[in-house]
Amino acid sequence: MSFLQEFQVVVLAAGKGSRISEITTGKPKCLLPIGPKPLVWYPLYKLQKSGFTEVILVVLESQKAEIQSTLEKSDIDIKIDYFTIGDNSDLGTADSLRLVHDKLKSDVLVVSCDFISDVSLKGLLDIFRANNASFASLLVHPQNGENLIVPGPKSKHKPERDLIGIDEQTNRLVFLASASDFEEKFTLPLSLLNKHTKIKMHSNLIDSHVYVLKNWVIKYLKHEDSLTSLKGELLPHIVKKQLAKPPKTIDTNQSILTMKDPGDIFALAKEDALESTIRELSSFNDHTGDLKEAYHGDVVRCFAYVAPKGSFGVRVNTLQAYWSTNARIIDSWEKITYGKDLALKSSKATISSTQVDDKCIIWENAKLNEKTSFKNAIIGSNTEVKSFSRVFNSIVMNNVTIHEKVALENCIVCDGATVESGCKLKGCLIGSNHIIPEGSEHTNEVLIESDRLMEF
Amino acid sequence: MSNKSEIIRKEKVVQSIVIADTFTDEFVPISDNIPHALLPILNKPLVDYTLEFLSLGGIEEVFLFCSVHSDEIKQHVDKCIKNGDGWTLTMKVNVTVSESCQSFGDCLRDLDARGLLRGEFVLLEPGVLSNVPLLSLLEKHSEIVKADKYAAMTLILQESGIGHRGRGLEDILLATDSLNRVLFYKNLGSRKTKKIEFPMDIFLENSSISILHNLKDSHISICSSSVLPLFSDNFDFQTKDDLIRGLLMNEEILEGTIYAHVLQGSLFGGAVSSWRMYQSLSQELMKKWIHPLTVTRNKNRVLKNNVVIGAGTTIPNSAKISRSILGASVSIGHNVTVEDSFIFSDTKIQDDVVITHSVIASNCTIKSDSKISLGSIIGTNTVLENGTVIENALVQSKQPDNGDEYVKLGNKAFELKVSSDDDGDSVLSTTSKKPYRLHITDIESDDEEDDDSDGFSDSEEELSYTQSPVPDDTKLFFSEVIDSLTRGFDDNLLCDNLILEINSSRYAYNVTVKEVNFNVVKAILSMSLREPIGVQYFSHLSRLLSYFSPVLKNYIRNEAAMLDCLQALEDVATSGESFKEKWVIAILQHMYNKDYLAEDIILEWYRNLDTDGKFVEHVKPFADWLQEAEEASSDDEDDDDSD
Repeated sequence: MSFLQEFQVVVLAAGKGSRISEITTGKPKCLLPIGPKPLVWYPLYKLQKSGFTEVILVVLESQKAEIQSTLEKSDIDIKIDYFTIGDNSDLGTADSLRLVHDKLKSDVLVVSCDFISDVSLKGLLDIFRANNASFASLLVHPQNGENLIVPGPKSKHKPERDLIGIDEQTNRLVFLASASDFEEKFTLPLSLLNKHTKIKMHSNLIDSHVYVLKNWVIKYLKHEDSLTSLKGELLPHIVKKQLAKPPKTIDTNQSILTMKDPGDIFALAKEDALESTIRELSSFNDHTGDLKEAYHGDVVRCFAYVAPKGSFGVRVNTLQAYWSTNARIIDSWEKITYGKDLALKSSKATISSTQVDDKCIIWENAKLNEKTSFKNAIIGSNTEVKSFSRVFNSIVMNNVTIHEKVALENCIVCDGATVESGCKLKGCLIGSNHIIPEGSEHTNEVLIESDRLMEF
Repeated sequence: MSNKSEIIRKEKVVQSIVIADTFTDEFVPISDNIPHALLPILNKPLVDYTLEFLSLGGIEEVFLFCSVHSDEIKQHVDKCIKNGDGWTLTMKVNVTVSESCQSFGDCLRDLDARGLLRGEFVLLEPGVLSNVPLLSLLEKHSEIVKADKYAAMTLILQESGIGHRGRGLEDILLATDSLNRVLFYKNLGSRKTKKIEFPMDIFLENSSISILHNLKDSHISICSSSVLPLFSDNFDFQTKDDLIRGLLMNEEILEGTIYAHVLQGSLFGGAVSSWRMYQSLSQELMKKWIHPLTVTRNKNRVLKNNVVIGAGTTIPNSAKISRSILGASVSIGHNVTVEDSFIFSDTKIQDDVVITHSVIASNCTIKSDSKISLGSIIGTNTVLENGTVIENALVQSKQPDNGDEYVKLGNKAFELKVSSDDDGDSVLSTTSKKPYRLHITDIESDDEEDDDSDGFSDSEEELSYTQSPVPDDTKLFFSEVIDSLTRGFDDNLLCDNLILEINSSRYAYNVTVKEVNFNVVKAILSMSLREPIGVQYFSHLSRLLSYFSPVLKNYIRNEAAMLDCLQALEDVATSGESFKEKWVIAILQHMYNKDYLAEDIILEWYRNLDTDGKFVEHVKPFADWLQEAEEASSDDEDDDDSD
């Protein structure tokens, strides 16, 4: 027997990266290189640094071995409990969590594998604890200056925007929806405005997909099996439930029956007798301005923690985000990793080149032959760059072979690709295992087997 | 002083416009005799407070704009100057008269034509009481103008929680950006809307905006010089609200923006715009919330129980008076009770009169045993005979000559009947019967509770912005049916056409007859649940059901369809939507009476119901009743089954 932990952590890494399918075909999204580490390393390291000792990592069946072997080689000491889900089931984030529910006995911290940030989790956890919240969500400000030129065909980057309403006085999360759900008009019930008289409506905050959920939310999720995604469905649903009133139980006979209904959110969320006694006896109130009791007597209550301005926080779920995060990872490294040494060039790499600037990151077992030139490049493990080639401002993943006299600029080269000699590529995306024939010249293109792209 | 320096000095004069008339009938019948500006507040005319506030706030020149009772106001201002009231030392007051003005907007157009205002100025709506330092606000407005040359107006607002009596009947809702620019403004008034609609672009164009519902309007605004021309150019602007609405709607064309400033700390602002505001501002003034504006001690005596009486007023020992303000020389008889009321000077209250939550103007005589309550307003010189009982009424001394309906209570007492047809769209006529004219604590709090339960019943919200995640064909069909029926019901379409529509959707989604029957009934029943649960719920329900009777008749044709129908009922009732207790019975009763459902089908269905569920509890009384009826009419052959 062991004590129940305060929080159990679930890291969701079973996403297929459908928004960046150009670079995730044939590679788990969570292993995409960001600077010197794979993507999933960042949330795991953060959790480790925050004092967590165990995580449940949800991965796809087929990707488990690869992810596991990668992580075992890394410096992550946190105990990882792998939980696999089938490849073919097209599952959303809420579905994944529903599958794990048996393991979840405490309140749950849900982290997505693509979140990289220097924001401490303490603020979020404290707001959750202080208010005995149903769930709390971490919101980050958008990063400035993301106007880098991204490889691939020029496309207008149109970020998905959420409308997030936060009560300014109490940090209650009172509204959550995607901006694209609305056309010209936007309606709010007056009852919401009566209850929360000062709401700040944000349209540019980014939901970091870091949530702390009360354990009953998992139970509720289990019951409501039509909800497939956390951010898109479950959370907006719970946010809305804050306005609803518990069904009035008229006679005692009925109330017992209602309590038994496993899907009743109010029965699930009901605070225990001790909590309500404490709340009734306490003179604490979360708000001023009316004579209502603390939290307006709501048992369902959602909160948001907005990261301090100027902090770093991104979700690497678009090509734009992937590219810009890589571009700034060295600058933000110290803050993100709480001062961990940044080993730019792996000691196991063979670097014979003399022209490698200090913005380059070279992974282990990479082989940079003589008379090559590198500027601001990331070279993955087991990748070989042969003589007389240059790689500028590019990301080259693992097991890539770059032959002689190749010029790469602003490119992303995925796993196992081969660039034959004499190629000149600028602003291109090269899919995994793709072979670029000798002497090719391309600018701003996606070079990928076309049938592969169709898979997803 | 040379002529030249006087001109220079004049350009720097800080100016203010005070509009003296409300242009509403809120204060009828008292406003027939007393101009709004001279309404006594703690036995001092209202305008005195306003002028004192302006001079303390740093204003040097005031244009006091009157359209009715202008002579009296002029006389009063002259008297003040003669008496050397405080404000006369630093401030010049020009009483401007134009009798042709019919609205707030007209007054400003008239002032624009006169060309008296230079630069930025302070605009006061009628009856402002405040302690705000205006110079710093003017400065702030100039700063805003520097940043945004189209800034036309800064609204001065004060925080005030929901349900605070200081909000009066106004209920403003606004959305501002991070620079406090107003992007959305709505005066909800006493109208009950359940949803507020915002234009989407204000959210997308700004990274964050504040939606504020915790404010009241102080009716003070700081205006740029463009405000008066804006009124002149748009002669349909009648009120300040019109201007704000107009500017927000046609921002580019009119080139004007509005900013909001929320008062902090002990700063206070409010205007006597209704009797409720009269009531709350009197209390607030008495309790020194508007310091330095306070009760004038030389004219008043402050007694216990929050009572203030004017000079020459005496109260016998047997009288009970609390939370009331009595004017000068009021005579009070024995055993009189006065609570939460206002009695102006020289009124005589005879023995055993009870006055609660009412206003009685000067020179009235209330004879013995009368009872006046619930926000009644008694006009000047009225005489109420012995034993008159008045609730929530307007009474004046003269017979109304303009053809309004009235009831004669005595030779000098006529009760005005407020015509009910004008409460529809005009916001101005707050004399409509619903909310009482004064804030009555017990009744109000009850009301609010009701409001809450109405507003929070979330079934409607659920429908409006959650879509069921995986819509299969049957679900799509169902939502299509709901759409058709809702539209049909709202627009009063022929049910035959609705049936056609449903049938065509049926083919489009390829659903079986059984599903059609089930979903149509389910749709109608779900619609009935959307109605707010209240006293009139069942009349709504029966109206809805009878409206759709052709539809129901069309689909519930045979016994199988009846079972589908009952199943739909069960489905809706157990789907977790909240419904009124007797809803299931009401539906069954209706369908049974209309012969949609046969008795034996209901009973058979009832027997097959899961006896553990709570749904069966709802059906039981009806089934029992059916059974009894059956037993009474026929032989007792069913006995075995029912046991």
